[in-house]
Amino acid sequence: MKKSAIAALVLAVTAVPVVAQQMKAENQVKYRRAAYQLMNLNFGSLEAMADNKKPFNREEAARNAEFVALLATVPKGFFGEGTDKDTRAKPEIWKNRADFDSKMDKMTGEAAKLPAVVKAGDLGAFKKQVHDLGEACKACHDEYRAKQQ
Amino acid sequence: MSSASRRIRVWDLPTRIFHWALAVLVVFSFTTGKIGGSWMDWHLKSGYAILALVLFRLAWGVVGGHTARFARFVRGPMAFGAHARALVQRRYRAVLGHNPMGGWMVVLMLLALAAQAVSGLFADDEIATQGPLAVKVSNALVAKMSSFHYYNGWALAALVGIHVVAIAAYWFAMRDNLVGPMWSGWRDVEPGTVEPAAGPAWLAALLLAVAAGAVYWLVAIYPKG
Repeated sequence: MKKSAIAALVLAVTAVPVVAQQMKAENQVKYRRAAYQLMNLNFGSLEAMADNKKPFNREEAARNAEFVALLATVPKGFFGEGTDKDTRAKPEIWKNRADFDSKMDKMTGEAAKLPAVVKAGDLGAFKKQVHDLGEACKACHDEYRAKQQ
Repeated sequence: MSSASRRIRVWDLPTRIFHWALAVLVVFSFTTGKIGGSWMDWHLKSGYAILALVLFRLAWGVVGGHTARFARFVRGPMAFGAHARALVQRRYRAVLGHNPMGGWMVVLMLLALAAQAVSGLFADDEIATQGPLAVKVSNALVAKMSSFHYYNGWALAALVGIHVVAIAAYWFAMRDNLVGPMWSGWRDVEPGTVEPAAGPAWLAALLLAVAAGAVYWLVAIYPKG
């Protein structure tokens, strides 16, 4: 069950770049938001473990980390033309695309390291990786995401 | 000051400890909030400490040392205007305790700090950090509180900036060092000036303990109930 869910996600994620090109703007916004929300859910669990708010559970952490690493690769392909409406994504994204992309790549890079760090089981390294990823998320939020209304 | 001047304590110990502890925590909170990541845990703890200090100060403003009392330093528009005119016309005369303009800055900063600490309890940074009371209210309210927390943080930074610039201006332009008295309590005054009554330290300790207990309940016990 778990494996097949992850396999489906891998498939969905790898299929993304092709699909995103043809997808209408409104749906690109919808799916990138969905990816961020699920990332938030899984990353929240990891952060709670990193901050000692809940006990470190390697199995749960491994699952959370896999999801985060995969989901992190989704949004980049969904900031196409016309996706600057009905969104908190700021217009600056499309003005400073190179900087936005580099911050996005930094985030996916940090997320990609998570599963291996969890598997290794060193709690100190785990905490550091979680917080490095958190800071990479924040870098974009601070600059390219409008505050909530 | 002439040799005939005398030194008195203008600020009691609890008020001074409050001031400097708050100053350190506000700088720490602002910095950790901007860095994020592993510092967010400390950002929250610092916020709880600030909330407890502000609650303490509100009570101390009623029962504490005389220069710390709101009834003494919160002045009307006439006094405010008179002080402002005196500054402009360069005929400033030192005031014992908060002057009529500074008093309003104290009120503004305390209000902004209270609002900042309380909004933080309900905020969510949408990465991995949530205030302890965010789970208790609707997401719409969490969104409002999070935005407010962000903008009010900058408003607070501006207030602190004005406060510091004003203190520097009194020091360098009016030759009145207000930092020393806030640190040591001592101030040179005209002979015959009566020393304002200090608040009892035991009462301050009790009030701070009650404030800390209330905040602890609010952030650690109530959310789990």
